[in-house]
Amino acid sequence: MTALLRATRLRVAYGDMRVLDDVDLEIARGEFVALIGPNGAGKTTLLHAIAGTVPPYGGTVSVAGHDLAKAPRDAKNVLGLAVEPSRLPALLTGRECLALFAGARGLPTIPPATLALGETLSLTSVLDRRIASYSLGMRQKLGIMLGLIGEPPLLLLDEPFNGLDPRSALAFKTHLVAMVARGDASVLLATHSLDIAERHATRVILLMDGRVRRSWNSAELAAMREQPERSLEMAMAEVCGA
Amino acid sequence: MNVLWHPALRADWLVLRRTGTVAFARIIGVPALLLACCAAIACGDFYGGYGWCLAAGALLALGGSHAIAHQRLLDVLERWRFGWCGALPVARGATACTLLLVTAVALMVSLAFGTVLLLGVSTMAPHRGDLPYALAGIDLALVAGTAVAAVRVFRRGAFAVHQEDGIRESLLALPWWNDPRLPHLLDWQRRTALVRWRRGGSFVMVGIVLGAVPMGAPMPAVAGLVLLVLSWSWLAVAMRASADASAAAVHLLGAVPLDARCVRAASFRYPIIAALCALVPVAVVAILGGRVAIVLGWVICACAVSIWPLVRILRITRNPELSA
Repeated sequence: MTALLRATRLRVAYGDMRVLDDVDLEIARGEFVALIGPNGAGKTTLLHAIAGTVPPYGGTVSVAGHDLAKAPRDAKNVLGLAVEPSRLPALLTGRECLALFAGARGLPTIPPATLALGETLSLTSVLDRRIASYSLGMRQKLGIMLGLIGEPPLLLLDEPFNGLDPRSALAFKTHLVAMVARGDASVLLATHSLDIAERHATRVILLMDGRVRRSWNSAELAAMREQPERSLEMAMAEVCGA
Repeated sequence: MNVLWHPALRADWLVLRRTGTVAFARIIGVPALLLACCAAIACGDFYGGYGWCLAAGALLALGGSHAIAHQRLLDVLERWRFGWCGALPVARGATACTLLLVTAVALMVSLAFGTVLLLGVSTMAPHRGDLPYALAGIDLALVAGTAVAAVRVFRRGAFAVHQEDGIRESLLALPWWNDPRLPHLLDWQRRTALVRWRRGGSFVMVGIVLGAVPMGAPMPAVAGLVLLVLSWSWLAVAMRASADASAAAVHLLGAVPLDARCVRAASFRYPIIAALCALVPVAVVAILGGRVAIVLGWVICACAVSIWPLVRILRITRNPELSA
């Protein structure tokens, strides 16, 4: 499998505080990678550094062979980052926001696949309402749709299940797994939900204090699923020294 | 839980201190200008008699203090209710108590500053003997204007109404208004401008200019002047709102491949339309026989309020990848 994403010795700091310290990460096409770790480990920052919204002070990010620093447009064409609910523009409607993202990606209209995802997530009925009136769950769904618009091959998702009702969460999980299984997308998912990581991911990476501390491959994860006495939660606790 | 003060007050104060002198200058700039105009008018000899001068100064203080207090109180209330501190367990009455304290402090500072100004201006004024009347008139007007604004804001209760107003479609929504490469950015800019315009703070300028109109000026001239000031104030709001909305859009679209030229073209579309619309009253005044100097003055003032927002848009859109 060829590497869709390659981050090498990635370093990010906010002022004097180092958040990512020499992080190396490689994701192949068709992989579903879960990023886990305690609060403040650097998961969100890593996603934003890969998406180009947080500038690193060292290291390189390459997406589908395009260097993010030298060819940001080519690199960003290949990736989609789900938008945080708090950053959505309150004065636009959901449909207008989708059209804005579609236009920025060079699409003439909102793609039917995105509207179909909206239908799956039960968001269609509120798309013409202003975002200011949306609940957290509705904003989360819209943020996910904005990240997936244009079906980019690399999806970066930061806690996308937060605020989703069980039905929508299941529908989105099924959608993601199907996309990965078809080979349409690779996923890098930052989550605290170890259950999702253990059940659906092909690889799990533990990030602590801005460094990759441990990773579990698909064989290890399969072994965990088969043995009820073993779990990702226990494995993570062992690494963390709890 | 403090039963008297809103917890966001301390945070706002810390943010203000860390933002530096520019933030302080923005807060005190317009009220200082208003008070200076009030003092100059109340002590001057612009109208038919001193009573008229005093009345004009007091009227300006009344309208100006009301407009400024109304806008700023609404801003703070909306931020406290819907911002990061919206879900904090705030004691009943703490918001009102805190806002009343802040309003009272701002009013006291304004009264002190107004008094100093009047004392300063009166040393060279033709009516220096009538200083107590000017002091009483302007101080009473400041208190009344601020109090009425506070009562109006507290009686509203539902502060979100401004957001809803902003969503209203424009009367002349033409299909080519929006740039297809960044659709609805123009709507975002327009609605931001509308929301800010409806808060009312911009009307202070109308009062300041009206106060400077000499007694006996012909009504058409006064109407033309009001039209010019209104269009200029609106242009200033539209320009600032456009720059802010463009910055927010570039930030929102940070992970999307953006073409700098497309973003720039889309970001400048609404400011250009707004400038053209603002020019309509100027053209009307010019056609109806307005002086060239007045029109030229308007253009210079319009450039002055537009230049920084336009530079901001240029900077934001020069390299959207980095601005994100």
